[in-house]
Amino acid sequence: MTTTSINSPLLRGTVVSNGIGGENGYLGGPDVDFCAAEIGAHFTLDLSSVDILLVPNGSDNVALGRVSVPIRTFLDRGGTLICCDGWVTPWVPGNEWVMSNDHRTIDVRYRLVSDRFGVMNGVDIDALTYRHGISGWWACGYINAAPGADVILEDSWGRPIIVVDKVTTGGTIALTASGPIGPWAGDDTSPSGIAINRLYDNFLKLARVQ
Amino acid sequence: MACIAMIYNGVWSHYAVANAPKYREILDLLYVHDIKAGDLDGYQAIVVPFQSHQTAMKALKDDVFSVLARGGKVFVEGDSTWLDATWEDRPVNNYWWVTDPGNPPAAQTDYSHPVYSGLIPRHACWHTHGIYTAVPVSAQVIQRNGAGEIVTWETSEYGGKLLVTTLDPLVEHGVQQIRHLDNYVDNLVNWLCDVRPQGRVEIDWRIGLAA
Repeated sequence: MTTTSINSPLLRGTVVSNGIGGENGYLGGPDVDFCAAEIGAHFTLDLSSVDILLVPNGSDNVALGRVSVPIRTFLDRGGTLICCDGWVTPWVPGNEWVMSNDHRTIDVRYRLVSDRFGVMNGVDIDALTYRHGISGWWACGYINAAPGADVILEDSWGRPIIVVDKVTTGGTIALTASGPIGPWAGDDTSPSGIAINRLYDNFLKLARVQ
Repeated sequence: MACIAMIYNGVWSHYAVANAPKYREILDLLYVHDIKAGDLDGYQAIVVPFQSHQTAMKALKDDVFSVLARGGKVFVEGDSTWLDATWEDRPVNNYWWVTDPGNPPAAQTDYSHPVYSGLIPRHACWHTHGIYTAVPVSAQVIQRNGAGEIVTWETSEYGGKLLVTTLDPLVEHGVQQIRHLDNYVDNLVNWLCDVRPQGRVEIDWRIGLAA
């Protein structure tokens, strides 16, 4: 595992590509030298030389379930996993995403729980709750966080929405309950676009201080 | 075996809708990268949801169209580039119902089509993922946007019925941020295999079944 100092300008990463173009917004950015790992019939994942594994919303969780061992090895070597997808197979160590429609999106509000890593620095929580005045637009379901993991953000019913887990493996697991984040939101100057762009930047800082 | 095969790209919303108790006896998830010759035999209908693997779908086109050739039905949603048609991207507007509720993304809808029969305009279109600039000459246009561009079309050119839309009812029904999609999806299921699901969809979450 490459250890990158906080002053290092460039991290190396793998972004999962699912044949839907979700990886494109992450490639060519200034902070991370991302390569796309295209999922196909015989998908393998070589994470031996990267700092970050990024799993965008809309990823193939069947394929990821089949490479859960190399992902765990990558994490135990100090890597950083950023997952902003709903993982429907148990490939994320220690943490479980749960889809639920028990509550109406009109009742969704988010609130800060704790943030010793600065994940929410500069992020307007209300902009994650509302977009064009509509609440519940960003994340879906919730996370059953691993014991000892940091719950950063929770919803109206106290369910974890953003989790940072530095205890389950030797690395860092940064999760949203499927809420998308990314640099492509820089094109979106709305409060919600700015919020998910800053959240992405802060997630990357988790890898820099690893 | 269920009556409908849903091509599955490992995406959580595909999994959520197909495993909802309301639909789990009707929809079989077939993982796109595991489908072999003959796997689609026996299904009355095939659905290809938004966020499908476009390259993999190109490879599966003959298998999917073989269902049409024997008189079956195929429903394709979202940004499909593997059909004999030309898709183009357009900005997605999913807040029109707040800012401009009298102007939905689909300005014209043929409500005589069985999938759209009985729907009110808001239930017939929530947002679109692009448009089609070219469709088979035999195609009947079902929906157009305000600029007259094609949102939904159908053809019998390949034998059975191929219904294509840039709406995303199956994905959004799994996402459950839009709560009125039972209306559209139940019409769709009924059209595909003569079964009308009852009641409102509930999510009964069981993780890991698709690994």
